[in-house]
Amino acid sequence: MEIFGYLIDGFGVALSPDNLMFALLGAFLGTLIGALPGLGPANGVAILIPLAFSLGLRPETALIMLTSVYAGAMYGGRISSILLNIPGDEPAMMTCLDGYPMAQKGKAAEALAISAIASFIGSLIATIGLILLAPILADFALTFGPAEYFALFMLAFATLGGITGKNPMKTVVAACLGLMISTMGIDSTGVQRYTFNVLELYEGVDFIIAIVGLFAISELLFFIEDRVGKGRKTIAVSKLKLSWADIRGILPSSLRGGVLGFIAGVLPGAGASLGSFISYTLEKKMVGKKGSFGEGDPRGVAAPEAGNNGASSGALVPMLTLGVPGSGTTAVLLALLISLNITPGPLMFTQHADIVWGVIAALLIGNFLLLLLNIPLVGIFVKLLSVPPMYLLPIVTMVAFVGIYSISNTTFDLYFMVAFGVAGYLLRKLEIPLVPVILGLLLGPEMEKNLRHAMDISDGDWMVLWSSGLSIGLWAFAIAGLILPYIVGPILRRRMALKSEVTGD
Amino acid sequence: MNTINDRIFGVLMIVLAVAYGWGASQFPEPFGGTEVVGPKTFPYLLAAVLGLSSLYMVVRPDPDNAWPWSRTGVELIIALVVLVLYAALLQPLGFIISTTLAVGTLCWRMGARPLNAFITGALAGVVVFFLFNFALDLSLPLGLLSFLEVG
Repeated sequence: MEIFGYLIDGFGVALSPDNLMFALLGAFLGTLIGALPGLGPANGVAILIPLAFSLGLRPETALIMLTSVYAGAMYGGRISSILLNIPGDEPAMMTCLDGYPMAQKGKAAEALAISAIASFIGSLIATIGLILLAPILADFALTFGPAEYFALFMLAFATLGGITGKNPMKTVVAACLGLMISTMGIDSTGVQRYTFNVLELYEGVDFIIAIVGLFAISELLFFIEDRVGKGRKTIAVSKLKLSWADIRGILPSSLRGGVLGFIAGVLPGAGASLGSFISYTLEKKMVGKKGSFGEGDPRGVAAPEAGNNGASSGALVPMLTLGVPGSGTTAVLLALLISLNITPGPLMFTQHADIVWGVIAALLIGNFLLLLLNIPLVGIFVKLLSVPPMYLLPIVTMVAFVGIYSISNTTFDLYFMVAFGVAGYLLRKLEIPLVPVILGLLLGPEMEKNLRHAMDISDGDWMVLWSSGLSIGLWAFAIAGLILPYIVGPILRRRMALKSEVTGD
Repeated sequence: MNTINDRIFGVLMIVLAVAYGWGASQFPEPFGGTEVVGPKTFPYLLAAVLGLSSLYMVVRPDPDNAWPWSRTGVELIIALVVLVLYAALLQPLGFIISTTLAVGTLCWRMGARPLNAFITGALAGVVVFFLFNFALDLSLPLGLLSFLEVG
């Protein structure tokens, strides 16, 4: 099989000493980022991008490091779910349901170990799924013309809010804002658009500055507003007592969770949060009355954790093969690819095969590294969890400043970043999601290019945008993605809220 | 239930959409004659979509989140002033001094004891400075401390 050849080449790339070192560093930083409150995965990956840049890492090394950060963050999110009953990131929400009760019963170490193993299994299944599915999808995507791509971008925006999203119209507003910012600068025909004769704007807005500002700076402002600078008390972690029988007990749950999570991750509009939710709910149905879900059942820790990690690897499939990310963090990874001058999408699999397969191999290796890091070293991460945000967030802000400053050594970029931070704060206050803004910034140029190509081919006939069966299908999904949240959303949201209330004390 | 935030934002966005669309109409014709889809088409589309979706926000607004007035609001403004000053003073004061002041003030305002706060700031500044300039070979400005520069 062809795939194996590529994969072996990929291992060749990923196992080179410096790539391996950066993968380990990334995995460690990622777990930290996931564990620390107030540093979500998207935020964490975003502030590391400028550093990866200014270090002059080779493209594959930079990508390997940041994918490891991404994978690590998914592992790390569970730690604060279990010990603090606060999800480190949104997908880790379901892990609170049984993880925290387990910790309260003095089984914190077991809960952490079980969730690490489940995370490992979920990621492993999803990475295998990625290896099998991605080349097929990439081949298929080669048949896409500009009209199909335009429709695909619409689909990406429409489903970004997810079917649990609150107000799809706000997603549309956010996407428009991002797309509008992306039109600033000199366009492909040499016309200046919205540059206001400011020299710094001729090349458009650097999306890395925008991302770091929107995420990192607005997070600082939110923490100041919430006045939670002192941090919270964690539950003490006892000595680990885990037998083979315990591990065998959670295996089926983890396997099911991983598969479900992977599917949810690949599908547009589902994402990791829904992945872990579905895994948990189905597991509860499967086990039925025999389980003690909600009171600290190990299977209730394993299923959502496997689901959440499965989904996060699954979400890489559309990002790598189509260039269309389905979540905030994969959008940030897309930003990295674009700034490394790699056009994501089907052609990447042929033009940059070494990078793609290097990253996939790195995911596999990273997963083993993460398991190794997370079982014996969990104590370190637990200690770091008690770092109060009043010290943490200013330092994170400083890292963001250094990163942005080191890209171009100009103060202008820093002002710009702060401005984006304020904008991000205001948008979040109005419950306008930030991820569509970022996706708009990233996809805007490609979207306009495809629109132009499609119209040039059809000589100005707008009907070309929905002339093929494939593009009609994509449009139909996009429209469904905007309408469904109004119908299904309230029901699903109520159920998810009900679930967390049961355990919330 | 107040819904004024969404309404005001919606109106502002409609104004933005109109201004953005008007801006597009002012673009010069691209060199080499008109194309089917010129530089204006995509902005026009965006202006239309933003206008319509903002109109929806005005008509069907969500309930408001409270704004932090009083003390918390002041803290937020302090934080913003610190960030802007940090950006402005990074080059003249140099990285270490400006970081000490900025990180220190932020930690302090977020609830740390002043001494601890500024020690944290100074440590962070020195560690990152040395990491960047020596281990990673990226130069951060020394500013006022440039007399310490070796060779």
